[in-house]
Amino acid sequence: MIAVRSAPVQLIARLRAGNERVFYGVAGFVGLIVFWEVAANTGIFRKSLVSAPSSVWKAALTDFGNGSIWPHIAASTGEFAVGFLVSLAIGIPLGLAIGWFRRVDYFFNGLLAGFNATPNVALIPLIILMAGIGFESKVIVVFLSAFFAVVVTTFTGVQSIARRHLEITRSFGGSRWLAFRTVALPSTIPYILSGIRIGAGRALVGVVSAEFISANQGLGFYIGFFGVFLDTARVMLGIVLFGIFGVVLGELIRVVEHRYDVWRPELHR
Amino acid sequence: MRTEHLALSARGVKMQYRDRGTGNVLLAIDNIDLDVPDGAFVSLLGPSGCGKSTFLKIVNGLLPATAGEIKLHRVAKGREDAMVFQDAALFPWYSVLDNVAYGLVCAGVPRGEARKRAAPFIDLVGLKGFDEKYPYQLSGGMQQRANLARALAVDSAILLMDEPFAALDAQTREVMQAELLRIWNAAKKTVLFVTHQIDEAVYLSDRVVVMAARPGRVIADIQIDLRRPRDLSVKRTPEFAVYEEQIWRLIAGQYGKTPQPDAAS
Repeated sequence: MIAVRSAPVQLIARLRAGNERVFYGVAGFVGLIVFWEVAANTGIFRKSLVSAPSSVWKAALTDFGNGSIWPHIAASTGEFAVGFLVSLAIGIPLGLAIGWFRRVDYFFNGLLAGFNATPNVALIPLIILMAGIGFESKVIVVFLSAFFAVVVTTFTGVQSIARRHLEITRSFGGSRWLAFRTVALPSTIPYILSGIRIGAGRALVGVVSAEFISANQGLGFYIGFFGVFLDTARVMLGIVLFGIFGVVLGELIRVVEHRYDVWRPELHR
Repeated sequence: MRTEHLALSARGVKMQYRDRGTGNVLLAIDNIDLDVPDGAFVSLLGPSGCGKSTFLKIVNGLLPATAGEIKLHRVAKGREDAMVFQDAALFPWYSVLDNVAYGLVCAGVPRGEARKRAAPFIDLVGLKGFDEKYPYQLSGGMQQRANLARALAVDSAILLMDEPFAALDAQTREVMQAELLRIWNAAKKTVLFVTHQIDEAVYLSDRVVVMAARPGRVIADIQIDLRRPRDLSVKRTPEFAVYEEQIWRLIAGQYGKTPQPDAAS
């Protein structure tokens, strides 16, 4: 007898063959949503606390429909973008300098360790005193959240350069500046990329923490505001939007990372 | 004067350093004198720890000697010496062509021009068509060919080779030895070759300088009068065996005199 596979089974098989990463990635989200919906409606979870995908969807239709959520998204995105980009613009060059010049390392080593150990949230009241409750104070919190991860991974990368690679430049009489451009930079790029990845995550946390404590707009504010009114669908909507933001950001970073896979074949999957 | 025909002349080279653990001053190299005539193939042969690689790094300028003098034949342009490293000495982020051009880039040649000048050396070492491949796409033997091409491309007076075939399997190593002689013949280079393999040193060299360890020093300088060009079959001749035996006795004789914790290697 010939086994006849039904159309949906064939369709799933074809999708999976097309791109396994996307297929399983989407399957993970679909699985979570289905589980969440079922659990909320069968009483495994308390719907009043965790809401349900259908309720979140309804809230999303309303708030996107009347446009009331857009200012919050815009505010959070702006705070994130400015704070994070500034942390990269300062953090990467500083990390490179710390890794490359021993004296710069000595100078910043203790300072960085000290600041890094301070929870950023503890600084927020002080930052608000200095910069107010507007855009600037959020940007500062985001910047601080991402900055240390970026600096530390970057200088760790420079300090992990294979000594024999640096020896090649010296052996052929190349300058230290040439060694920096042709050896230090390319071998540090994987580290910088993970710094960007980790920093982006920290920056998102920074956005939420800053908006929680004091704000009048932004997704963190949105979540906190509706939490007070027990509108868990909107709380969840805010969280889901942060999640979507994180996934999109991760994919963008992957695109950049892929450019370097040419010589990092061990990362090919 | 004779020195005009010398690619390398070393006098009284000494290297000592302080052991970080014990704080004792160790004498790595004691008083090495060595002359390498233009166009010659000279090997430094000795057990690990005899300072042969250290000496090569001193000649190359990677390490400062504690005492002594190194004279390299002056060349009109470019470097006097170029190093062929042991292994994993290619940049993984560069293609073969960019790796081979790198020595020239270090000498200040613009990248485009360096790539143009490097290209013929890729053919010379037998890597034709691999210009745009990355190191991970090459076998160990091919990586060492690229490593050699990079050193050849800078057109130095002397090539310094630091156990370049040590990490290769036995068969690839033999092929590379024969290839090296072919390239040496074609490129008319002076070579100072460091190895711990007796047959490799005898097969390749005009002279084998035998070293002993603790402290590193020269114990013999043996002329190899085997006819050139040599193919690998010369290794099966009685004359070859006589040289091997002679050198083996010199090295083995050292083991009785000084403690050799890693004599087996």
